[in-house]
Amino acid sequence: MNAFTIAATILIALLAPLGLLAARRRPIDGLIALELGSTLSVLALVCLAEGFHRSFEFGVAIAAAVSSWIGGLVYARFLGRWL
Amino acid sequence: MSSVAVDVLLGLAVAAALVCVAGVIVMRTSLDRLHYAAAATTVPAFLVLAAVLVREHVSSGGLEAIAVVALLFLLNPVLVVATARAVRRVEGHE
Repeated sequence: MNAFTIAATILIALLAPLGLLAARRRPIDGLIALELGSTLSVLALVCLAEGFHRSFEFGVAIAAAVSSWIGGLVYARFLGRWL
Repeated sequence: MSSVAVDVLLGLAVAAALVCVAGVIVMRTSLDRLHYAAAATTVPAFLVLAAVLVREHVSSGGLEAIAVVALLFLLNPVLVVATARAVRRVEGHE
């Protein structure tokens, strides 16, 4: 384990309280927790790519950043219109 | 020397991410939570990027890390505005 993999582990562990918040609070608060969770996931992917010295895995982080942004926009529109 | 810098930068990044998660959990209103969620794309992201660049310099991995953080930093304000509008509608301000 190096510093990057340890940081990635902590960032992934931080998703657990956000999942609890998303399950217990209102849907709009769950969306905010989801947005923070997707940001932390992207940062964890960057740390894992650097920690394991696999530069091609940075592409996964780029794809995750774009797809989570699109997903967040769709959820925000949905919650704003139908809730 | 550079490994110490990487450790310090990553430690600061994780601490900033912890503050963001704590803020989202502790704050009472949705807009306050959104403020902390949005902050995660600025301070922790740039600290992680700095740690990667200290180790990689401007190689292909470093450039891709710059692309990731630039995407997070530039795209997230659009998402924050859309979410804030949804919060206002859900809470009946519009």
